[in-house]
Amino acid sequence: MLRSTSLLATKACRNTARRVFVRKISTSGQEQCDVVIVGGGPAGLALASALGSKQHTLGNIKIALVEAGDLSKVRKWTPEEGTFSNRVVSLTNESQAFLDSIGSWQYVEQSRTAPIEEMQVWDGVSDARIEFHSSELGLEHPEQGMARLTEVLNLQRGLLRHLQLIPEVQIIDQTKVTSITAESVDGGWPLVQLENGRVLRSRLLVGADGLNSPVRSFAKIPTYGWSYDRHAIVATMVHPAKSPLLGPNTTAFQRFLPTGPIAFLPLSPTVSSLVWSTTPELAAALKQTAPSVLARMINAAFRLPENSLTYIHSQILQAHQAGMPIQDAEIKGLIQWRESSCAIKENSAYSTAAFDTPEKLAGVPPDDAVLVPPMVTSIQPGTIASFPLRYNHAETYTGLNNRAVLVGDAAHTIHPLAGQGLNLGLGDVECLSRVIHNAVLRGGDIGSYTSLLPYSQERYLENHKIMSICDKLHKLYSTTFGPVVQLRTMGLEMLNEFDSIKAALMSIAGSSAPTRIRREGGSFHGEFGATALSLAATGFEGVTAAAATVQALTNLVRDRAKAQFDERGKGGNTL
Amino acid sequence: MFPTSLIRSTVNPAEIAHFSRLSALWWDEHGEFSFLHKMNPVRMQFIREKILEIARDEQPDLSGNNPDILNGLDVLDVGCGGGLLSESLARLGARTLGIDASESNVAIARHHSTLDPRLSQNLSYRHTPAESLLSEHKQFDVVCSMEVLEHVDNPALFLSTCAELLKPSGHLFLSTISRTPLAYLLTIFLAEKVLGKVADGTHTWSKYIKPSELIEFFHKYRSPSQHPEASRPWITRLYGDGVPTRTEAEVRGLVFNPLQAGWMLAPRGAWGATECNYIFWARKPALESALDSIKS
Ligand SMILES: Cc1cc2nc3c(=O)[nH]c(=O)nc-3n(C[C@H](O)[C@H](O)[C@H](O)COP(=O)(O)OP(=O)(O)OC[C@H]3O[C@@H](n4cnc5c(N)ncnc54)[C@H](O)[C@@H]3O)c2cc1C
Ligand SMILES: C[S@@+](CC[C@H](N)C(=O)[O-])C[C@H]1O[C@@H](n2cnc3c(N)ncnc32)[C@H](O)[C@@H]1O
Repeated sequence: MLRSTSLLATKACRNTARRVFVRKISTSGQEQCDVVIVGGGPAGLALASALGSKQHTLGNIKIALVEAGDLSKVRKWTPEEGTFSNRVVSLTNESQAFLDSIGSWQYVEQSRTAPIEEMQVWDGVSDARIEFHSSELGLEHPEQGMARLTEVLNLQRGLLRHLQLIPEVQIIDQTKVTSITAESVDGGWPLVQLENGRVLRSRLLVGADGLNSPVRSFAKIPTYGWSYDRHAIVATMVHPAKSPLLGPNTTAFQRFLPTGPIAFLPLSPTVSSLVWSTTPELAAALKQTAPSVLARMINAAFRLPENSLTYIHSQILQAHQAGMPIQDAEIKGLIQWRESSCAIKENSAYSTAAFDTPEKLAGVPPDDAVLVPPMVTSIQPGTIASFPLRYNHAETYTGLNNRAVLVGDAAHTIHPLAGQGLNLGLGDVECLSRVIHNAVLRGGDIGSYTSLLPYSQERYLENHKIMSICDKLHKLYSTTFGPVVQLRTMGLEMLNEFDSIKAALMSIAGSSAPTRIRREGGSFHGEFGATALSLAATGFEGVTAAAATVQALTNLVRDRAKAQFDERGKGGNTL
Repeated sequence: MFPTSLIRSTVNPAEIAHFSRLSALWWDEHGEFSFLHKMNPVRMQFIREKILEIARDEQPDLSGNNPDILNGLDVLDVGCGGGLLSESLARLGARTLGIDASESNVAIARHHSTLDPRLSQNLSYRHTPAESLLSEHKQFDVVCSMEVLEHVDNPALFLSTCAELLKPSGHLFLSTISRTPLAYLLTIFLAEKVLGKVADGTHTWSKYIKPSELIEFFHKYRSPSQHPEASRPWITRLYGDGVPTRTEAEVRGLVFNPLQAGWMLAPRGAWGATECNYIFWARKPALESALDSIKS
């Protein structure tokens, strides 16, 4: 007893002593850090917040975040009422719960986010369709939807507001990392050289620095991937409010066209966000046209048969190549002509006639109105942009003996068709911050390979699984080849039949079932999400495998036929 | 304390030469000592949790996740090697002294600690056998000796030396390997002879010590005292199957999981878990318990 009281008494002073000394050390102009995060995108900022919010249990580790861009612009971002940024992500409930658990979610302006309560997904060629509603998911709070659409800027600003309350995290923005070297001694630490001459010596170096990650190059981590030869056009779309008969604007629509899916993601009753993956040529051509042309083409892309779209796209490309971007009147004419030749009635939701007379949209909506998104009437000025799409996966997330670790897009990028990119990144951040926390509690050196191993072990396969499902989905739907279309139609319709597989598709489309969070040293787990995903994986594997077999058989028959034909041809020649 | 004339050494020169030859490899996380690197977090977990558990018995209001439990304690790491455990202890704020019988190990440990600015204030190393600290009348809150017992001569002397380097109520942590056929198979036959993961000749089966032998030792062992009539053995009670009470001593298995390529701490009493690697904890009796028993 004697001993324990004296221990406690002296402990208080020792604590302060320990805290002060960490700050003091610096060798010859170098600044000592425990964690240097390169990249102030959403992943980097979330990691800084996650670590910063646990400062007291982490024994005041020293954290610096370096970002090339100007973060004060993000901090001061005050969009005009009713306008929305064009970069929007759908955050799964799991991602939101994580952001909430670190205390950041409350700084994200909730009124600018919108739940997805329902999804309408259909095949652009066969029109086979699946519908999901969040009430079918057995969510704890179905009214909060299966995912929440959030502007990236709103998220980043929220994270920055949270970080303003954590002065221990040093944010160095408008400063590029110019090079990273390793100290020349055995077991030396990384030295991060900044544009302004500062040098940070870091125990742990986190690459949250996006697709072309300089940290990844420093750590000599190879990456594996390819370009999809697709660009995603994004824009903020304006439309009339839905009729009350159709319910609120909380349904996301996605149509899989052979060139890539087009998605309509609701943000407010009259504003939604576009993500349209298509060929780089069409993306470039559409960016050159008047915004009204893009608006018409978006409406058409959700409504016209696939072959009509292919024809109109070729017209747009031709005009673009001739250096004369297609005009609004011409597009209007083309669409009207295709609508009438396809016998689309003017009072059907599939008709775009009301584009020029929006007042006609008021009143009782047609029966088929639930199948297509609201008619886009204009594009918010300045919001049209496009991004090249890549599949990329680093071979490992932790460098070998160089104290580097990767999170977010630096580690992996995927096709946005299931809206998973940042959700994977936030999963990385959740796991890495937990792994760091556990290592610190055990006196581990958080830059060591051994401390970081559980992070790679937990995240790599998890990410790989989701990434390959998204990749397969893209490949499965980017063909008009008959047998494959037939099979995937069966696929989609079968999906609609079986609730479990439907739920699986919902889970990659941005939702995940109720996840319980163990906050103390525990982990997040979406058991439902995981099983549903593997179900989905097998489901799709089945469809792709079947399609591949059909394709192989067809090729075989075709090659045989061709060989016979050539044989005959040869025979003919000699005769 | 031991009269100086009685000090015999526990140092086996062949063992020390063996570790000295390998000393450059201590901090290669993928090399010779990768097993120890991977085992280290689990050893630290046990040390931290056990000290916390006992502290909470005495101060029930202490937080169950107190990160500062080792902060400011005087800790000795006997046979510190390259300093894997010493660095972790120091990072948690313990005033740590690492000692080793191999001079080159101590040099490596010292050099490595200079890379980490967080270590300079409370970590030091000495090239010395534990026995000479006794003659300096040093005592510590915690004495650790990880994977050393199986390498010493005269283990009983080694144990009593560690024991007497502790203050009353201090914590003793030892990790080692049990003398079982399984241990032979895994640590010598597989690790050294077949897979070559560990240098041949690192281990000698006959020197392995079973958990029951450690318990037996501390069931009999009494710290030398001015009041011999008052001193009690470290372990006073054993349950039916030879299990001590949680507040006097504990044995936990350290189990390697090849799927995760990592070690885990087996749950208390897990069947068969202590057949190979294990960690042992015992607590030196408090001073007042001795005095109390005199009074009564
Ligand atoms: C069209 C589209 C739609 C998407 N939709 C979704 C969705 O619905 N849901 C979803 O979860 N994800 C979605 N994603 C993916 C998501 O946007 C990305 O995964 C996410 O933005 C990546 O964040 P990050 O922080 O990892 O990387 P980034 O945002 O790329 O941040 C990297 C940062 O590092 C900085 N940097 C790089 N090099 C240096 C240097 N040398 N020095 C200093 N700083 C440097 C950069 O300036 C940048 O700020 C979508 C992506 C696209 C393209
Ligand atoms: C297997 S290593 C363990 C190193 C370290 N404790 C660890 O677990 O990381 C054994 C170490 O004990 C040292 N050693 C062996 N006998 C010793 C003794 N009698 N006194 C002090 N050190 C000894 C050796 O030099 C060697 O460094």
